[in-house]
Amino acid sequence: MTSRRGFIKAGGLALFGIGLGGIPGFLAEAVAGTKAPGLFKRKKIMVCIFQRGAMDGLMAVTPFTDKYLKAARPTLFMDAAKGSKTTPLIDLDGRFGLHPSMAAFESMFREKRMAIVHGIGSPNNTRSHFDAQDYMESGTPFRKGTDSGWLNRAVGLLGHDAATPFQGVSLTSSLPRSFYGENPAVAISNLQDFNIQLRGNVKGANMAAKSFEDLYDTTSSGLLKETGKESFDAMKMLQKVDTKNYKPSNNAIYPNTALGNSLKQIAQLIKMDVGMEVAFAESGGWDTHFNQGADTGIFARNVNDLSNSIMAFWADMGTYQDDVTVMTMTEFGRTVKQNGTGGTDHGRASCNFILGNSVNGGLVHGLVNPLAIENLEDGRDLAVTTDFRSVFSEVADKHLNINNDKVLFPDWEGNKIGVMR
Amino acid sequence: MKTPAKVIYSFVFVLLVTVLCSAFQKEKPAAVKFSFPYKKAGLDERQAAAHLLSRFTYGAKPEDIDAVVKIGLEKWFVQQLDGKIEDEALNKSLSQYDDINLSNAEVEDKYPRPGQALRMAVKEGVINKDSVNKGDGKEYRQQIKAFMDSKGYKPQQELFRQFFNQKILRATYTNNQLNELLTDFWFNHFNVSLTKNQSAPFTPAYERDVIRPNVTGKFQTLLMATAKSPAMLMYLDNFSSSGQPVANNDDMQMQMGEKKTLKKRPGFRATAIANSPALKKLQEKKKQGGLNENYAREVMELHTLGVDGGYTQSDVTQAARVLTGWTIAPMGENGYGFAAKNLLEKTDKNTLEKRGFVHDGDFLFMPTRHDNGERIVLGKHFPANGGYEEGVELLTMLAHHPSTAKFISKKLATRFVNDNPASSLVDKMAKTFTKTDGDIKQMMITMATAPEFWSKESLREKTKSPFELAISAVRSLNAEITQPYQLYNWINKMGQKMYYYQAPTGFPDKGQYWINTGSLLNRMNFGLALATQRIPGIKINLASLNNNHEPESADAALLIYCKLIMPERDVLETVKRLKPMLNDPNLVSKVESAAAKTGPPQTMDTMENEEMVMKTNKKGIEKPVKKNSGKNATAVTLSGGNNTMLAQVVGVIIGSPEFQRK
Repeated sequence: MTSRRGFIKAGGLALFGIGLGGIPGFLAEAVAGTKAPGLFKRKKIMVCIFQRGAMDGLMAVTPFTDKYLKAARPTLFMDAAKGSKTTPLIDLDGRFGLHPSMAAFESMFREKRMAIVHGIGSPNNTRSHFDAQDYMESGTPFRKGTDSGWLNRAVGLLGHDAATPFQGVSLTSSLPRSFYGENPAVAISNLQDFNIQLRGNVKGANMAAKSFEDLYDTTSSGLLKETGKESFDAMKMLQKVDTKNYKPSNNAIYPNTALGNSLKQIAQLIKMDVGMEVAFAESGGWDTHFNQGADTGIFARNVNDLSNSIMAFWADMGTYQDDVTVMTMTEFGRTVKQNGTGGTDHGRASCNFILGNSVNGGLVHGLVNPLAIENLEDGRDLAVTTDFRSVFSEVADKHLNINNDKVLFPDWEGNKIGVMR
Repeated sequence: MKTPAKVIYSFVFVLLVTVLCSAFQKEKPAAVKFSFPYKKAGLDERQAAAHLLSRFTYGAKPEDIDAVVKIGLEKWFVQQLDGKIEDEALNKSLSQYDDINLSNAEVEDKYPRPGQALRMAVKEGVINKDSVNKGDGKEYRQQIKAFMDSKGYKPQQELFRQFFNQKILRATYTNNQLNELLTDFWFNHFNVSLTKNQSAPFTPAYERDVIRPNVTGKFQTLLMATAKSPAMLMYLDNFSSSGQPVANNDDMQMQMGEKKTLKKRPGFRATAIANSPALKKLQEKKKQGGLNENYAREVMELHTLGVDGGYTQSDVTQAARVLTGWTIAPMGENGYGFAAKNLLEKTDKNTLEKRGFVHDGDFLFMPTRHDNGERIVLGKHFPANGGYEEGVELLTMLAHHPSTAKFISKKLATRFVNDNPASSLVDKMAKTFTKTDGDIKQMMITMATAPEFWSKESLREKTKSPFELAISAVRSLNAEITQPYQLYNWINKMGQKMYYYQAPTGFPDKGQYWINTGSLLNRMNFGLALATQRIPGIKINLASLNNNHEPESADAALLIYCKLIMPERDVLETVKRLKPMLNDPNLVSKVESAAAKTGPPQTMDTMENEEMVMKTNKKGIEKPVKKNSGKNATAVTLSGGNNTMLAQVVGVIIGSPEFQRK
């Protein structure tokens, strides 16, 4: 186990002599949006967004010149040509078109700061959400019993002691499978909850907090004592974070959605320099069996939220942009052919987005063959041509300097495809 | 399905057996042939009783220690292992939950799977498919609800809510505490998860019928029961594993809804890909059979041998072949197994048996999917055409393997003794396992009579899981629970989303997993919220806890409540640390005036599922809680209301490090 005490030493909070209810001025400044000398040396941060439910990669980034796709999707297919029935796709490279509701991504793609990988997925051809998410998050597509998640292993491979409880943070109510494991990781659904609470009784809460701090400081159980210390230090750091009045930089406007709120809080943690290096957020609603819509409708709303949330986060990052890489992931894609209820069913490959200043952007990576039936997996789905592990490991390697693939993705031997510069 | 007559017969039978057993028990009290070596460890009888209670119950009050000492420590332990103490009050309160006793088939019929109700509504023309997912969805949700009401269907979450509620009430109020702890242990050992939609509805019956009745029996019984349960077959995919071509194979998989739309549109396959090379390839692939190794791997790695138990990848594959054809029997009107249903209904029982089918409750062995080749697993030879029996043989072998004896012993010791149990203790238990054919009860006795159980390295060294913390807190405070779901939410907040652990490993049973920065603060907040009565539907009465005796001073109150909540513990340090809370008179009045302004306690706003919280149960559990006699006029500052200093002190005690330990 890494040293839990490291945080106390490195954090040096005691030096500031902050009592309960107090917060160092520079932290308050950091929260207000300006950069300030942090508690920790600034580190690179990888932000992962899991799109649960399986995003239709063929609708997000459409190979619009593919006649088979057009035939297979009478009401779902969109074209890049102006004057078509729907709002046209955003033509990325003459072959792939970005969904018009993701217009926010266009500039990033043009500036070569966003890369797309198409045909990405798992070598295990399960079409069960549960199994596919399980395999993707554990990082072992043929082993159920792997007890750790790949992001937890990533935290363990960062190469320095866990100096902070916030090295790995998930903005979810419980720890996701990706973060299962023995390295420290915290699940926080709301930064404001990180406090001793006695509703409507602030004095009582402060007094209780003081007593708790004393009690944990003197307990004979090492685990409880150290974690207690960590908790109170972390609490003092966070308790003044005012999510409601947080002012994002560069007038960024986060959508008022689950994902928007998660990314906003990740931004706050980053600006506070609490030592976070791996962050995780979720986005739901991608299981579009019924009426997924085209340029409007449920899918359009989903990708709109996804792209606007990410771009608000990116704008908010301001001078931190060099430190941050954002990567999306989803358990599988959806059928090439639309089904009888205006939706798509569980398929195989999908696509993902990677955003950052060291991304090999402006390209749609991977391999998408013409969607003729003989090219489809099991005669129905976009074939997986890029193993998700090759992309995840490359991003972790290039951005976080994690190069022990044997530990990060045991059982995997494959090549990187050059999504990072 | 059982006929009513059968049900009555079996009921009468059970009744008879119960009467006989209890008569027998009265004549001949269980002989106790062992003794606990606590004196050698320097403990007195009360301290020893407290240790027993802290490890083998969900928390104890001082009078529980009195009771154990009176009965005799060893005898009490045997009673707990037997698990046959009357639970009248609990059973009465559980009767408020209509659906916790439904069979899997009844669940399938009453609780459609997510999306299934919608498909039925569209099919019956009640809902226009074009309206699905359009607009704000409110009207559409109402339509679905109306449709479900008209059919008598209920949303699955309602089933789970009842299931969670009964779990919390059982753990809190059962007299057979050890049985409940072992149920928790074995469920976690053979974990299935509500995160997997396909297996989720089988979970209540899994815990009730597969785990709970077998927790102190032979290990092999448990292993076999889990192997044949729909929950496990589905969770680890063995239900779909097949070794040879079967016409209905495809249809079986279709039942789970994932590929339903494909099935419903024969046109797609017929016109679009008929005669295509892709289809031929597909059919070719099907002929090779769909072997799924998940269960075979985990049954060795997690259920029996352990990861270092000495098996190879080849053993896994071979074992998976042995277990092909082990699947789920058709159940219910809307439920699983449509394809096999026709077959079972059309063919008479004898013919089926002759053909090698085994239909046992919800379990079905389909010889048509079984791989008939010969195989070698862990050096044991399984001849060709072994059918169902070779699977039983395989599991029997695994259940008796020396690696299993060690693995199970270590896991039990980790749970009940110490996060890192001494190998001497594990060896002793493994020996018992081997000697007694995997008798769990005997292993527990070996464990509890071992000096290691009573050693310094074990006392107070385990950390309560969030579930254990919550239950021990409400037990210590004699709480009256009318809304168990509120506790469920808090347990989730503290880091244990019960029944939702995604991996088949189950929750790691170590303090390090439970105690982290975020969860620890939530434990403290839980203590405060509980003691100050800010958890709706969980009522406590601090005055009656002390038999309505008014402590003579604030200091006395602190000491009394520390001892009530943490009997036989050294509470001096806690008392010392908490004194300042009471001794600042200005602070007291400030807090009270602040508290007075806030009015009645409010509902937590961070509940995960507000809808669930709204649906509270009117019928509360009846408990012999003495009513507050109201003679607390002078003690008002200590025990009058929810915002008193005493309530806060009690909250801090619940959240204190000492109370996190067991």
